[in-house]
Amino acid sequence: MAEVPLSKFDVVIIGSGPGGYVTAIRAAQLGLRTAVIERENLGGVCLNWGCIPTKALLRTAEMYRSAKNASEFGLKIKGLEFDFKKVVKRSREVSKQLSQGVGYLLKKNNIDVILGHGKLAGKGKIIVERNDTSSLDLEAKHIILATGARARSLPGLEPDGKLIWDYKDAMNPNAMPGSILVVGSGAIGIEFASFYNTLGVDVSVIEVQQRILPAEDEEISALAQSAFEKEGMKILTSANIVAAKKAAKKVTATVEVGGKKSTISVDRIIMAVGIRGNIENVGLENTKVEVADGHVVVDEWCGTAEPDVYAIGDLVGPPWLAHKASHEGVICVEKIAGIKGHNPLNSTMIPGCTYCYPQIASVGLTEVAAKEKGLEVKVGKFPFIGNGKAIALGEPEGLIKTIFEANTGELLGAHMIGTEVTELIHGYALGMTLETTEVELMETVFPHPTLSEMIHESVLDAYGKAIHF
Amino acid sequence: MNSPNSGSDSNNFDPGNTIKNKDRIFASPLAKRMARDAGIELAQINGTGPHGRIVKSDVEAIKKNTATKGFIDPTKIMTSEITSLPAMSPTGGSYSEIPNSSIRKIIADRLTSSARDIPTYTVTIDCVIDRLLDMRSDLNGRSPKEDGKYKISINDFVIRAVALAIRKMPEINTSWTDAAIIQYDNIDVSVAVTTPDGLITPIIRHADQKGLAEISIEMKQLALRARDNKLLPEEFQGGSFTISNMGMYGVKEFTSIINPPQSCILSVGVGEQRAIVRDGALGIATIMSCTMASDHRTVDGSLSAQFLQVFKAMIEDPLTMLL
Repeated sequence: MAEVPLSKFDVVIIGSGPGGYVTAIRAAQLGLRTAVIERENLGGVCLNWGCIPTKALLRTAEMYRSAKNASEFGLKIKGLEFDFKKVVKRSREVSKQLSQGVGYLLKKNNIDVILGHGKLAGKGKIIVERNDTSSLDLEAKHIILATGARARSLPGLEPDGKLIWDYKDAMNPNAMPGSILVVGSGAIGIEFASFYNTLGVDVSVIEVQQRILPAEDEEISALAQSAFEKEGMKILTSANIVAAKKAAKKVTATVEVGGKKSTISVDRIIMAVGIRGNIENVGLENTKVEVADGHVVVDEWCGTAEPDVYAIGDLVGPPWLAHKASHEGVICVEKIAGIKGHNPLNSTMIPGCTYCYPQIASVGLTEVAAKEKGLEVKVGKFPFIGNGKAIALGEPEGLIKTIFEANTGELLGAHMIGTEVTELIHGYALGMTLETTEVELMETVFPHPTLSEMIHESVLDAYGKAIHF
Repeated sequence: MNSPNSGSDSNNFDPGNTIKNKDRIFASPLAKRMARDAGIELAQINGTGPHGRIVKSDVEAIKKNTATKGFIDPTKIMTSEITSLPAMSPTGGSYSEIPNSSIRKIIADRLTSSARDIPTYTVTIDCVIDRLLDMRSDLNGRSPKEDGKYKISINDFVIRAVALAIRKMPEINTSWTDAAIIQYDNIDVSVAVTTPDGLITPIIRHADQKGLAEISIEMKQLALRARDNKLLPEEFQGGSFTISNMGMYGVKEFTSIINPPQSCILSVGVGEQRAIVRDGALGIATIMSCTMASDHRTVDGSLSAQFLQVFKAMIEDPLTMLL
């Protein structure tokens, strides 16, 4: 067999975030000659500027909170303080370590990594504008766009890196501000709000919708709001930011709530009003690829309207989650490789986690969404106060809520707030994927004493059988 | 006999759980419940999940297919289908279409494959049942008035006689597979019951271990629940031998299609007075003709004949059923 020239590939992936690099590894496993194009850092936003470094920051916040409460646990800590620069430095090091890990994985799988800006250049062709200003032409039978997304901005509130921050500025600051206004209460906004609030910054959150974390179950979002307020956060809902006036070191936002205007003066504004796909400068204009609302339109197998061009992850729309991007990529490339018997991604089964304090996690339908679909539901709830492990941890606040379809016992969704719930939600995700009913969950033996027992109790409660509450 | 849990050997299957020629039907818990609630046998569903597992969408697809009742415009059928199906209306007149229920489709599929694939032959034997009838009225006269009340039918005797005969001749209690003949340890007798939707075969499990009154009471309840479409899958899936009785219609004798993967089905006719010659003299006796259809791959003709001989001996001298 003749050797394939270096520039010819079965699959070329533009973007090496959790969508792109996972897809590349799967493609290589399937025996496809694969290349990944990355213009910045391997691992994309997730590893470098998103999921991972924020978890490192929030870990500091968590430890700081525990240390502050140490006396409750019989510990004496004197002179507790933090070194903000080191806090940030640690999160950068964590990102660096993981980005290098991605590089190692790609190499191990014999995937060509091409640094530069990749762009479609006609059928089966890609041009890479390399960072040293040279360019490289590639040919690929299949091209997967995984260029991700960036923060949306509002007119007059464009991040400037000084007074108005986007997520990237917010996780890499030079110094800790005294006060912050977070615009938007989705997962990203709430995580920054929680981080800074815990470290002692005066934090306000403004949300245009009626409640914070609008994607979550209503009951959980109400519990979250009262928990955050108890932590000292100020929260404004049904509120719009209509103007921002910058001074030398302060920015004054004009906020409108129910027709009434007021002003909030803060050191920094963090913009977290959602994200939009990176659709520009990818060469879409000369293709049939369709774009709607800032995202590439794809079918259930991630195919675009242009043959042999696919798109995955944040680029194709919500939920904007790393694990969704990875799954889409795997499904897409398995389809390309002709593997049969796998299904398109079921978007209702994608869990979502927010690593604020207290943590929030969910999967499936909310109670309201289930009822809106006309489903008859059975709902079970179990509070952390009824769980031995939660009491022992000193974390007695929180709730686990489970939603079943009343007639079939189908597990429709689960919603949680409380310590470590992000590590519990996969239990429900697994159950949903395996098409469990309440019976199997009830028959499952949960270990004692663990937080996971609350899953069991919440399931039991849906059928009036909870033991410890 | 393999143990019920002995792994994934494709020749190992438990008649209590499956009628497919596989060791086990894999279905998600949700799919199992939805199928049960809809009265659909899992064995009739093609699984599209991982490793052929039956999942929710498979059950929904079957339900959707079987739920397409309602008005069908005959003119559309005339234009689109009638040309290729000239026999649709042999009289040339008007007709109506009765949509196939899921149970009707199941009957069609299974009995078609049975009639097509199984080398079937039949053996008929006449049984004198005068003593059985005497014993029956005697026993029924002893029934308690309230708790445990029973009224034993001729068919209840047939169920017990079949079960006891199988115990003596377990070669009847078998299924054919390419690699081996599976011989079941349990004697689970299926009994055909007519319902408004079609035929169903509830099962008297361990029939050889049950007395006549117990068989009778259980059979009555199963038949009632079958008519109300309330049988659980495990109450009609499985079974190792089937009895079909058309005596109540005055049918003298008939044959039945084997209910796979079973090997034999016994067709029981009416008990009626017939002239017989006994010891060179003409006499009158109540005779019940029974015809057994057997799968020649598992049960040879002589085996069927010997089985019916054992069965006949018990029916004609029912006191032996007490032994």
